[in-house]
Amino acid sequence: MTMSKTLLFLLFAIYLMATCGYLLHIIWRRTIVATASLVLVIAGVSLHTALLVHRWWAAGYLPVTNLFATLFFFSWALALIYLYFELRYRIRATGLFVMLLNLILLAGALPRDTAVSALIPALDTPLFSLHIIFSFVGYAFFAMAFSIGTLYLFQVRLNTQLLPDLPTLRKINEEAIFLGFGLFTFCMVAGSIWAHIAWGHWFSWNIKSVWSVLVWMFYAGMCHAKFIRRWQGGVYAWLSIAGFGVVLFTYLGIGLLLESNHPLE
Amino acid sequence: MLSGNRPKPFILKLWTFACSLKLAIALASAATALIMGGSLVMHYNPAIFTDMEQEIMGRWLPQAWSRAPLLVFWIPLSGLCVVMFALNTLCCLIDWLSRIRVRWRKTGEYLIHAGFILLTVAYLWGNLSGFRSGPHRLVAGDRMPIPGMPGYLLQLEEFTPQIEPSGRPLDMINKVALWKNDQRVAQKTVRINHPLVYNGLVILPSSYGQDIKGFRFHLQGSGFVDLVSGSRLPISSNLSLVVHRFLPDARQDKQGRVMKTGSRLNNPALQISLLGPSGTLWQGWYFLRQQLPEGITKAGVYLRPVEPVMTTFSLLTINRDPGDKMALTGGILISVGVIFAFFSFYRKRATGDRPEI
Repeated sequence: MTMSKTLLFLLFAIYLMATCGYLLHIIWRRTIVATASLVLVIAGVSLHTALLVHRWWAAGYLPVTNLFATLFFFSWALALIYLYFELRYRIRATGLFVMLLNLILLAGALPRDTAVSALIPALDTPLFSLHIIFSFVGYAFFAMAFSIGTLYLFQVRLNTQLLPDLPTLRKINEEAIFLGFGLFTFCMVAGSIWAHIAWGHWFSWNIKSVWSVLVWMFYAGMCHAKFIRRWQGGVYAWLSIAGFGVVLFTYLGIGLLLESNHPLE
Repeated sequence: MLSGNRPKPFILKLWTFACSLKLAIALASAATALIMGGSLVMHYNPAIFTDMEQEIMGRWLPQAWSRAPLLVFWIPLSGLCVVMFALNTLCCLIDWLSRIRVRWRKTGEYLIHAGFILLTVAYLWGNLSGFRSGPHRLVAGDRMPIPGMPGYLLQLEEFTPQIEPSGRPLDMINKVALWKNDQRVAQKTVRINHPLVYNGLVILPSSYGQDIKGFRFHLQGSGFVDLVSGSRLPISSNLSLVVHRFLPDARQDKQGRVMKTGSRLNNPALQISLLGPSGTLWQGWYFLRQQLPEGITKAGVYLRPVEPVMTTFSLLTINRDPGDKMALTGGILISVGVIFAFFSFYRKRATGDRPEI
């Protein structure tokens, strides 16, 4: 089963227009432009969700088993989470950075083969779907925290009206880290139970598993770090950026550069 | 309670230090840095680390240490950091429990702490007193003792590999039974993602394959017969043929000794005895690529090799992790803790429980 490239390019175009809209909002400072961008994001997420559900239904399993599919899913999760924060906090111009990141993810998926490969028997379990869903939604929250952390550092220097104020950015960053950590914890628990029934041990010393534990420990540390007064704000923002570096290495670095039992093709 | 001016007793200072967030961050950071570096050492030294998953850490580490201490030193060191981190977490948990009346809103967070402690203990327990063994080669009907568990036997009752028409393996259906002192204590159809789990034992399929166990012949006057090691074939009322041994790839040296040279079908041979009413009429090796030995044809037995007889074997892995239930409890506690923490996070934000700076 292959996904229509036309629909995929349409999706990319919608997100691209939303990103351009946020850029224009920064230049013109018109609320209507930001609202139009939000509408485009909603349209993009709706189409993205429909495409994902269609692929899942057609394949008979959650098709997140190769690089195209993981980038596609990651991009969907990030767009959805941005939508959550936008609707909750009205972060507007922040959307430029997040949607730009989302475009990079989707652009990485565009040239790749959209075909769904046959599922290997070991992946044929609901635990795999849970592991994947929680993993990428967790990653998306960490990506959101990375974006907000970066913008926090910009806001410290620029002090602009376009971005939310520092306490709001800090609040959103903490929330993104906390939710990401919680969901990534579910991913780890589902993965451990699956490993136990599939390979007979719940913790593997495979490099991907080891780095997943490192991601978990890093963000567990960040959930504690917010209680250290001196680290609140700037240091926390830098930690969000560093954490996303660990996430990127775990997701892409290991899959593409090193051999693991979680290959990306 | 202590008054504000009086210095804290040493034991209280020690307890405060043991519970401190800074200690937690220092230990977690040290463990993270060591494991980060170690994971790359692990990746670029497969000769040392490739068999890491075949054994529990308690058995693997001493062997690896004797081979390459400089490449594995980070494992016990990071393990020590994690254990100390878990102890620090335990101290925090005890401290919280002692103040639960005023800090009950943190229940979710502390359930996560409790789960982490259980996971650390479960990992240590399983990796010090468990085992990993296999893959074990079994054909249907075989029984084997469970290594390290006297009195326990594993029996493979039936085995059926499931293969797609394209030849892609789909599943490995193993009907297995676990026996303890001649009493069946567990039975299950084990397949991918469906192991037999019994008291910390996990029995699961790893792979399967085929072995050549004999050969099919056409016996003049009788039809097709399968001859494998141990076969006894009555040919007439006073003549029978006994197969002592079948070798898929055999070689005969200058002294006439026949030896096995491989397990793949190449130069198959049967060691045969032809028994008559007065005893053995002929005994020797029949190389299937050569003509039927004269001793056999003289007795009026004409065999024509047709095709090999295959047997399918299953490869089963047997692991034991006595800490698995504790690990599962830890995982459940962490998950429940996360759900509680999600609720309390938004509740606290809604009520302004945590003041902004």
